[in-house]
Amino acid sequence: MNYILEARDLRKEYPNKLALQGLNLQIEPGEVFCLLGQNGAGKSTTINLFLGFIAPTSGAAFVNGLEVALNPLKIKEHLAYIPENVMLYPHLTGLENLALFSSLAGFKYKEAELLDYLHHAGLPAEAVRRRVGTYSKGMRQKVGIAIAVAKHAKVLLLDEPTSGLDPKASNEFSQLLTQLSAEGTAVLMATHDIFRAKEVGTRVGIMREGELVDVRPTAALNAQELEQLYLTYMHN
Amino acid sequence: MHSIAQKEFVSTLRDKRFLVLSVLVLALLLAATLVGRASYQTLQQERQLAQETVNDQFRHQPARHPHRVAHYGSFAFRPRSGLSLLDSGVDSFTGTSVFLEAHQQNSVNFSQAQQSGSLIRFGEMTVAFVLQMLVPLLIIFLCFGAFTQERETGTLKLLLSQGVSLRQVAWGKIVGYSRAVALVVAPALALAAALLFGTEEFASGADLVGRLGLFVLSYAVYFFLFIVGAVVVSAVQASSRAALVTLLGLWILGCIILPKATANLGATLYPAVTKAQMDADVHEEAQHGINGHDPQDQRSAALKAGLLKKYGVDSEEKLPVSVGGIVMSESEAYSAKVYQQHFADLNATYERQNRLSDWVGLLNPYQAIRPLSMGLAGSDFAHYVHFQQAAEAYRYSLVQRLNALQASMGYGDKERKLDAHTWQQLPLFAYQAPPLGWALPRLLLPVVALLLWAVGLSWLGLRLISNSRLA
Repeated sequence: MNYILEARDLRKEYPNKLALQGLNLQIEPGEVFCLLGQNGAGKSTTINLFLGFIAPTSGAAFVNGLEVALNPLKIKEHLAYIPENVMLYPHLTGLENLALFSSLAGFKYKEAELLDYLHHAGLPAEAVRRRVGTYSKGMRQKVGIAIAVAKHAKVLLLDEPTSGLDPKASNEFSQLLTQLSAEGTAVLMATHDIFRAKEVGTRVGIMREGELVDVRPTAALNAQELEQLYLTYMHN
Repeated sequence: MHSIAQKEFVSTLRDKRFLVLSVLVLALLLAATLVGRASYQTLQQERQLAQETVNDQFRHQPARHPHRVAHYGSFAFRPRSGLSLLDSGVDSFTGTSVFLEAHQQNSVNFSQAQQSGSLIRFGEMTVAFVLQMLVPLLIIFLCFGAFTQERETGTLKLLLSQGVSLRQVAWGKIVGYSRAVALVVAPALALAAALLFGTEEFASGADLVGRLGLFVLSYAVYFFLFIVGAVVVSAVQASSRAALVTLLGLWILGCIILPKATANLGATLYPAVTKAQMDADVHEEAQHGINGHDPQDQRSAALKAGLLKKYGVDSEEKLPVSVGGIVMSESEAYSAKVYQQHFADLNATYERQNRLSDWVGLLNPYQAIRPLSMGLAGSDFAHYVHFQQAAEAYRYSLVQRLNALQASMGYGDKERKLDAHTWQQLPLFAYQAPPLGWALPRLLLPVVALLLWAVGLSWLGLRLISNSRLA
């Protein structure tokens, strides 16, 4: 089986903290895998390890069959990333930010195409030519989504991506993920939002103290059961 | 890399803090250029007029004895180099004119500093001062957050997730900041070039073009060093505050503390004799030679005996030459030789002091650009010594020519005079500043220091950035 994302005994240890212990995970193309867990459970560490931003203490992460530590630049061709709080360049407009990040990823879009990406991400038309310094968190998040989508990556790594989005925008984002998933894009999303995970995820993984303690297909659980399961793990 | 460079350039131009600072620095640069030009014009005109006046006075002396003319003497005024409007170097502290007379090698006197207020001790507001001290400060304020701010705001992660390397990000930033700095500096240098080549007062030519070209290139390397250094410090420091404090500390160390410490160390290691001491030493040693004004001098008597023998005559009256003129000539040759030895020793001491500072340029780019800038502008110590030597060479040849005229007058010359027309045949002092080819070998060490810094810092700095995990 060709996994688009794979973690083999992935472990990350800091001097005074074990952030991730022996993670084994495989994600296929088109799959939306949601990582649930409290702050400090290891969700962001997992995403950072796949991005190559931090080096594993042991084990390995693979993107499209390439080991992240050995191919730090090559693997990023397959990845798009949306952090919890998308920070952009405040002196550039939303349009300029999107053009910049797209060109760094190797895409030279025409202005009309860039406007289209921003429009589909939900950014109001009046804001696209305003400097990002004047944007709200939600507006920046939408530009971040546009940047990720415009990259046409095989994998989306999302770290609390709907944080700061209003319910309507969150809902639109969920629809976008479903659409991308249907087109074969794999998604690894760290989230606190159990209901969103149930809604868009194909599988959910529950993390606790750096360990992936349970993985379930979302189809096998309803939202209440998932919440109950999550709370059970958290209270244990 | 181009995209990041463009982003940095545009972001910088839209940053009001940078705009305020850069407008201030640009205004200072333009003001310094215009003030430099005005100062150049005034001083050059003054010196030219003074030189013409003394030349005129010298040539229009009445009928006189040649040795009287030798004591009447003349003055040599040092013309300013064209590029001194950008970097006045040591010009303000060295003298501007020297009195040329028989038996005496006077020092070059009347520096601007002597005639200025005490504020000149704090340095002049020249283009070089702004380029060497203030533009680096602007660069520090521009670049200290190059990586730390990206890290603090979280943009760096998003940037790196697009598939660019830290090295590419760093180069992009360096190129972007370089463009922003060029935008601040270029107008002033363009104005200077327009003044130098667009007006008649400057002797423009290939030499000036070469000097200005290298001047601009040297500063481009110097600014590049500060930009790379600031970006590297920003990459390795944990916070913007720490990066700014580190960079300001390095600026204070490199631009203020080290140059002063090196100058003091040089003066301690290689103490120079005072002017009074040197004059006393020269005077004492010159006593061992012939005293042309002492008829009882035994060496004069020996010389006279030699002349009588040479011409096969038994009395001074029968000699075809004036013994006094020959004695004067010998006396002048000896005292000039003594002076040149002492002058060479003193210059060697100054050279050793300057050399120490030049070597420190390998550790401190400020101490590499400073002598390079002055040297290219023709306002460093070497150019000053060149003038001194030229003035002394002229003095010596003039006095010896007058001694030869005296000698040719034969016995009893002291009772006679030479026609006023004679003085118009004598050559005037016309100083030709040395060409760039003369200056360059003397500037080799600062050039090598700057290039080593540029290559070394780029290589090591980018390596440091590449190996750091910033996200």
